[in-house]
Order: sequence, then C-alpha cells, then structure tokens
Amino acid sequence: MATVIELPVIPPPLRAGWTAPQPSGKSISPVVERRLLPAGPAYLAHVRRAVHNLTFEEHDKHEEERRRLEALASGENGGTGEEDVDIGDEEEPEDLLSLDPKEWKKQDHYAVLGLSHLRYKATPIHIKVAHRKKVLKHHPDKKAGAIGDSNDDAFFKCIQKAFEVLTNPERRRQFDSVDPYYELLEADVPTASQIKNGRDPAKAFFEQFAPVFERESRFSRKQPVPMLGKYGDSKEVVEGFYDFWYNFDSWRSFEYLDKEINEGSDNRDDKRYTEKKNKSERARRKKEDTARLRQIVDLALGLDPRIKRIKQEEKEAREAKKRGKSGTPNGMSKKQQEEEEKKRKEEEAKKKEEEEKVARAEAKKAKAAAATAAKKARRQQRAAEGNGDA
Amino acid sequence: MAQQNGTIDAPIEVSSIPTVVGINFGNSYASIAVITKEGSADCIANEDGERQIACAISFHGEEIYIGSQAKHQLVKNSQNTITGFRNLLGKKFSEIPSDKLTVSAPVIQHPEIPDEPAYKVKVLQAAPSPLPTSVTTTPAASHAPTPRSEPTPAERILTPQEVTTIFLKSLIQSAEDFLGKKVQGAVISIPAWFSDAQKAALEKAAADAGLVVLQLLEEAGAAVVASNSGPQAEALPDDRTQLVVDLGASGLELALLSLRHGIAHSLATISDHTVGGDYIDDKLIKFFAKEFTKKTKMPLTVAPATETQDKRAEAKLRLAVEHTKRTLSASPGAATCSVESLKDGLDFTGTINRLRFDMEMRTIYNHVFKKVQELVEAAGLDLYDIDEVVYIGGSASLPGLDETLAQGLSESVVTPFTAGTVVGGGVGDPTAILARGCALQAKLLASLPENTEEEKDVKEAFASGSKWTEAKVAAKTIGMIFPEENAENPLGGQWIPAILRETALPARRNFRFDVDLGEGEGEKKTAFEVWEVKEGVKTEKVKPPALELEESEEEEEPEEEEEIEVKEKTLEKEALLTSLELIAKQARQEGGRWRTTLEVQFLVGSDGLLKVTAWEVGKSGKGEKATATVSAP
Repeated sequence: MATVIELPVIPPPLRAGWTAPQPSGKSISPVVERRLLPAGPAYLAHVRRAVHNLTFEEHDKHEEERRRLEALASGENGGTGEEDVDIGDEEEPEDLLSLDPKEWKKQDHYAVLGLSHLRYKATPIHIKVAHRKKVLKHHPDKKAGAIGDSNDDAFFKCIQKAFEVLTNPERRRQFDSVDPYYELLEADVPTASQIKNGRDPAKAFFEQFAPVFERESRFSRKQPVPMLGKYGDSKEVVEGFYDFWYNFDSWRSFEYLDKEINEGSDNRDDKRYTEKKNKSERARRKKEDTARLRQIVDLALGLDPRIKRIKQEEKEAREAKKRGKSGTPNGMSKKQQEEEEKKRKEEEAKKKEEEEKVARAEAKKAKAAAATAAKKARRQQRAAEGNGDA
Repeated sequence: MAQQNGTIDAPIEVSSIPTVVGINFGNSYASIAVITKEGSADCIANEDGERQIACAISFHGEEIYIGSQAKHQLVKNSQNTITGFRNLLGKKFSEIPSDKLTVSAPVIQHPEIPDEPAYKVKVLQAAPSPLPTSVTTTPAASHAPTPRSEPTPAERILTPQEVTTIFLKSLIQSAEDFLGKKVQGAVISIPAWFSDAQKAALEKAAADAGLVVLQLLEEAGAAVVASNSGPQAEALPDDRTQLVVDLGASGLELALLSLRHGIAHSLATISDHTVGGDYIDDKLIKFFAKEFTKKTKMPLTVAPATETQDKRAEAKLRLAVEHTKRTLSASPGAATCSVESLKDGLDFTGTINRLRFDMEMRTIYNHVFKKVQELVEAAGLDLYDIDEVVYIGGSASLPGLDETLAQGLSESVVTPFTAGTVVGGGVGDPTAILARGCALQAKLLASLPENTEEEKDVKEAFASGSKWTEAKVAAKTIGMIFPEENAENPLGGQWIPAILRETALPARRNFRFDVDLGEGEGEKKTAFEVWEVKEGVKTEKVKPPALELEESEEEEEPEEEEEIEVKEKTLEKEALLTSLELIAKQARQEGGRWRTTLEVQFLVGSDGLLKVTAWEVGKSGKGEKATATVSAP
C-alpha cells in the first residue's frame, strides 16, 4: 500500500546561506522490542512482508496482483453484482408505450423491458435490473400528478407481464423459442444464387452464413456449439461442424403459440379438442423447424467453399504423390517403398470412404427432402379436406 | 460464441460474504456481530431482542434459560442459575477465591475430577418413555396409552467449560437464525490477562459447541480493528496513541496502544477488578435502598444483604437498576427505577438524574482516572500524548466517565462521545465495539488462502503467542526540518514528523507536499535535514510562577488566580541523521511565488537502517531522485 500522505503544510523557502551540514554519522536510536497485537489488515500486511521476506515494493506488487485477482473472482461469481450491471437506455417508441396488456402474448417482452439488445443473452440479473428500472419509471404512482389519464397503467401491466414471463425459466424458454425479433430474421437466409453471383463467393458465404448459424446455435441443448469458422479450417473441423449441425439437438418448442384453452367453458370435450389441436400444432411446428434448419445446413454444405478446397487439396496431394512416386529413384529401399504403398492405400481408402459418405449424405438429404415434400403435400391435402369438412 | 440464455442451469448463488461471526464473550455480557452485505460488521440481537446477552444460564425444571431470562431467575431460582463462569474457565478449584459472596449458584469442588471447579444444579430429568405396549407387557388390553411418568428430580454437575459450551451454542444458534446459514467460523474476544490454560479451555468449549475458532483475539486488538474501520476512522490521523478503557461489569481494563498505520502494539496495560459495572450497581442499589427506607420506613440493607428477604430485594433491585443505568446513559433526563413488592409487599419507585448519579459515581470516575494516570506513567508518556479514547463495555457508556477523563486529556482528543458515535448503536458504541471488531477480524481471517506453506505461516501468525508478533519499533521520532529564515520555533524551521516513535519496523511513509521556493528567479533549491527528536510534554504551572521554566518561546496569557497546569507538547533536536538537497526543475509560479511539489519517502528497515528518498513531481512526471542512507544502529 504505497499510500502517499498529502501534507497540508508548505515549508518555507530555504534559509539563505544554508549549506548541507556535515553528517553526524549517527544512526537512529536503538530499536525497541514490542509485541504487536495480531489484528487488522495492517498486521496481515506486516506479517506477509515478514513471512515472504518482501520489500515494500515487492509487497505492493503482490497486493496489486491479489486485488486484481479478487476483482476478477468477484466479477465472475458476480456476487449480486446488480450495481455494476449496466443495461443501457433504450428508446421507448410510442407504439411500445401504447401496448395493450390484454394482448401480452403478442408483445416483445425484451423490448418492453428495454433489453432488446441482449435478448436471449440477458441474464436473470439483467432482467431484474431492467425491470426495476422500468418500474421506477412507469409506475402508476409516478404518473398520478401528470396531465391526462392518471389511471393509465397499461404499460406498467405490460412490464409486469414481461417480467413474469422472463423470470420463469420455462416460460422464458418458450418465449425465446418464438422470439418475434428472430422470427423476422429467420426468413433472412441467404439463397444459393445470392452467394454464387457475388463477386467473392467464398467471402460472401462466410459473411452471410455466420450470423445464421450463430442465431440458430442458441437452441442447442449441447453447448458450446461449433460455429461456421473460416476458410482455412482443416478437414476435421469442417466435418465436425456439419456433423454437429446435422445432428442438432434443439430445445426449441412452440407452446407459446398455443391457442388459449377456454378455462371458463365447462365443456370438457371442447377443452380436449383444443388441447389436442395445440399438441398437433406444436408437433407440426417443431417438425417444420427441424426441416428448416436442415435446409439451411444443406444449403451451407452445398455452397461451402471449404469443401471444394479440401477436395482440391486432396486431389493435388494425390497427384503430387503420384508424381513423386514415378520420380522416385530406384535406390529407395524396399521397405520405404512398401511404406509408401501402404500409405497410399490407406489414403485411397479414406478418400473412398469420404466420397461414399458424401454420397450417402446426399442421398439421405434427397430422401428426406422428398419425404418432407410428400408429407407436406399430404398434410395440405388433409388440411384442405379438413377445411372442406368444416 | 453463442451464450446460453441462462435458463438451462439455475444460477449458482455464490455469496461473497463469508458467514463468520465475531463474539465478544465477556464475563457478564456477550454480544455477536455478523458481516453485513456492505462488508461492515453489525451487532445483532438474539431471539429475545437483546444485543447485550447476559452470560447467565439457569436451570428450571426441564427448561434451560439463557441470557436475560436466566438473569431474572436470580430472584427466585438463584441456586440453579450460573453466572460469571467465563472467568473460571481453565482455572483450578484451588485458584478460585472462595470467600466471594455470590448471588448465583456456588462454585463447588467437582465430585470426580480433583481440583476442578463445578456447579451443582437441580434439574428435572425426563422420565424414560414407557415401554411399547405388547402382549407381554400389557396384561389388560387398554386403548389409552400408558401415561408418561413424572420427570424425576436429578442433580447435574457442570464444569465452567461445559457451561460455556452450552452458552456458546446458544449464541451460535442465534447467529445462524439471523443469517439463515451455518456459521463457518468465529473470532472470540478474550481479556489480555487470559492464561494459556484459560485460552485452551475456551477453545475446547468452543470446539464442543461445534464452533470453528479462527482466533482468540485480545480485547484491545478487537478494539483496534473496530476503531480502524469505517469512515469514522479515516478522518483520524493514521498514527495515533489510543487509550482503550474497558469498564465491564466485573472489572476495569486499561490499555495504552500505539497505533501506527493500522499496526498496533500495547505500550502498557492495567487491569483492576475493584471497580466495574457491578460496583456501580452496588452504589445505585444502596442509593435506592436508602430512598426506599426513607419513603416506607422499612429497613433494607443491601450490598451486601444478610437476610433472605433483603437478598431477594437486592436481586430485584439489581435487575431494575440495569434499566435505570441504560436510561441514564441514553438521555440526559431523570431515570426511574421501579420495583414491585420490593420488600414486605411494598412497591418502590424512585428517580435519579444524571447529576445525582454522577455524584454517586464520582469515586468510581476518579478511580478510573487515577488508573489512567498510572497507566500513562507506566508507559512513560503523558496524558497529553493520548490522541484517541475508545470505550468498551456497558459501564463505559456513561457520559460522566468521559467528562471526567476528558478533563485530564488534551483538548483535541477524540472520544466516541466527542465524535458522536455512541448513540444509536454507532461505530463507537462501547457495548458493540468488541463484537464488531471480532467480526471484522473473522472476515479478514476467513479470506486468507491456505494453499502453500507460506500462506499457512501467515495464518499461523494470528495465533496467540506467534513469533511474528515480536517486532522492533522505532524508539524516537524521525522527521524533516526545513531550515528557514528567522525561524520562530527552536527547531530552526518547519518540522514534519515522518516516522513516529513506537512505529513497528520495517516501516515506510510516503509524503507529498508543496514547497515554497521564494520569489527570486534563477536556480531554485530546496533542502531539508533529517533529525531524530525527543518528544515531551511540558507542564507549566501558571501560578505560582513556574520554577522549572525552560527557554519557552511563547508565554501563556496570564491566567486567573488559581493554579492551573498548562501542558504543551515539546520537541527537542536529538541527532542530525542526514540532509537532502534538491534543485527544483519543475517549479511553477503561484501568486508571485515559486512552488514545486515534492515527494519524500522514508524507509526504515527492521534493523533500523534508514533510507530517505526525495523527488520532485510535476507535469512532466517524476524528477530525479535524491537518496540518503543512514546505517543501522
């Protein structure tokens, strides 16, 4: 603790003709032995210096390091940390303020709490802080004296509803599944032509697909999710990526869009009917969502410049080897030749396998697509029939 | 990397507040403090709403009463009520004076363990539960369950250590109820005179109560920690001499501490068991008993009482004056004391105001003052050297005591009363200060890591009698003198103390200040000499004319007729150690005069090696350093 004591005194100017006196050669008086009280942080610092045999400067450094680590640790654990959370200020457009609390299912809860820049990334602390902030601003008591309708607590109700939804983990997840902000973005998937017709297809691919995958990754039960990556990725990374995304395990669900069951009605058949319909609707949406994701991944796979690059590289490697082999001087030992042979065979087998895999994947995809199409057609037909019946 | 939306795992609640407590375990009263959310310590109340928990345990039938409930049992159930057990901890039976009159359960020789004090209390033991009904034990079938037998009277022998265990358990229970979490550790305060056997006994008792003792902290240490924390302490100078006045129920403990940048050591201690809260109680009881006799013509002899009736009346009064004392400390008005059916069915209500009370207590105040004088003398200092007074214990809350003490001390002395921190459970509240200090110490100890051998060593240093508490301190004050033209004071210039006497070594002090360089242009030079000085306090008797007047530079204004002691701090040059010279390069002009900012560092090694470094600071950063070293003695 290199605390500097600021002194209020101002020593006067030096006496004229003062010259440094001859040092007397005296030392300070002999030190006295005392017994310290083992208490307080200052004693701790004293002991630390003594035990570790540190000078004051070294101890200062250690203390600084310790403080830094402590600050880090407390930052990670967060403590309650509510004071440090800065959620910023978001604008409140007129249409947000005039939301109807009865239509709460349609409102964007994140926007209501002013968290639309965080969305699913908002932590419970963020939500708590944001809610408190909004309540302080929009509480009906605050508006009591204002001109106009003093009973207007509609937006306050919206805030409470949003808080209620977002603080319940299950309900929050349901809402996150159908977050209107991302619903809009979902339609915004790059098409094959967009990428291919670009000036730099490879760059366009990464630029346009990266946000798509990042967006989708929030639904994964398994975390962390491999991201699209960059052009120079190795074969393993690319394969790992597609492997993960073809076996994507999503927690997305669609309960939020359920039709309200009329609780007031005594008709149990009515209820059951609605329940059943909701259930099938959820299943359908889920299936659609899976198909949608699969399509995105298919598209990405088809357009991925890395696949092309890897193939090219493999081919080149093969050719190089061939060339190298033909140019091998006969002086090479038999053993070496054998090894070469073995290696080559292995590689070929690998390549073959790879190709087969790709082919299989392709076939599977085609099949899946066909199946989906067929199903869709059937369903549409059924729906049409159903409508006709109704 | 996408972030989880936080709903997969519930966030783990990691609280940065350690659940440690500080326990002030006095002979008569105890208090508990916990660490609050803000990191400060706060004294908490037990389930009866008391911050001051009476150290009393009473056995009544199958029940055990602890705290003030037990104190009330002293009236009718005194033989089964145990008080004052802390001071008996770890003592042999033969060491305990047996002639002392007690109002509670007497201390007896333990029937089995030789030379061990014990208490014998009568309790009711729950009868063994009836045998379960079966065909063999119930010849005649009955629907009604066999009634439980009456509890049987039994005698229980308890050693002071066992009593302490029961008491500490209840304290911990209170703290856990308050915190809602398990208590991980505690620091318990002990008086300075506790022997190793007593410490061991207390530690054993705490361990039996399931409590992890982080440290047994001397009361003076706890006072230092508490008085050194919070915004109040920041306003005080870092180097000060502190007088700790602990006026508890059973005795007076005085300690003179040298506090230098948070490191404290005791210069002298005195403990005196002839005065204390109980003594104050005695005086008050006698006062009220006299009142009672005056009002009702009913004779009442108390403190000591001989008749059974008088004894009971005394016990009742003793409980009642507790309240009177607190009222008196809290408000300047009159305080009442009322007891129903004090003697022979006659009620008593009396009042006492502060003036009257102070008159009654004058002897006690004077006694404390005398002891303070003794203490200061023992330390070789003067009353004027005391910079701060810290009061501990319920009886120290009396404003009259502070007034008496303040008369002898310098006018700038800081007491909790002048700082206004006594009322409303402030930081200077004498009843809470120890517990708070212990809690803060517990927090500090709980945060220490224990991974390496050295870190363990650091932790060990807080154990009692650790070798690290041995330290060397500077014997005399070292400081700077800036020689000046026509100096008024005998030192020949501006004096800036750097390392005060009684500063634990190694020590480092950094100073920053502006230096006046005069009006002239040209090369600007500043210099100072480093001197060791002798500090003293000069006492002058104004009338009759002083006889031992040294060459005093300024004469006091003439006083009244009375003979008044005027004290003044003096400095005397002892030895020139070194000098430093610096050419100011970053001087700036302020109001026609040149100034520069200087930083000076004093570094004294543990062997007494002094190193003085000075440098200039300005807009362009630190200037060149000038260093002077003085070899170790």
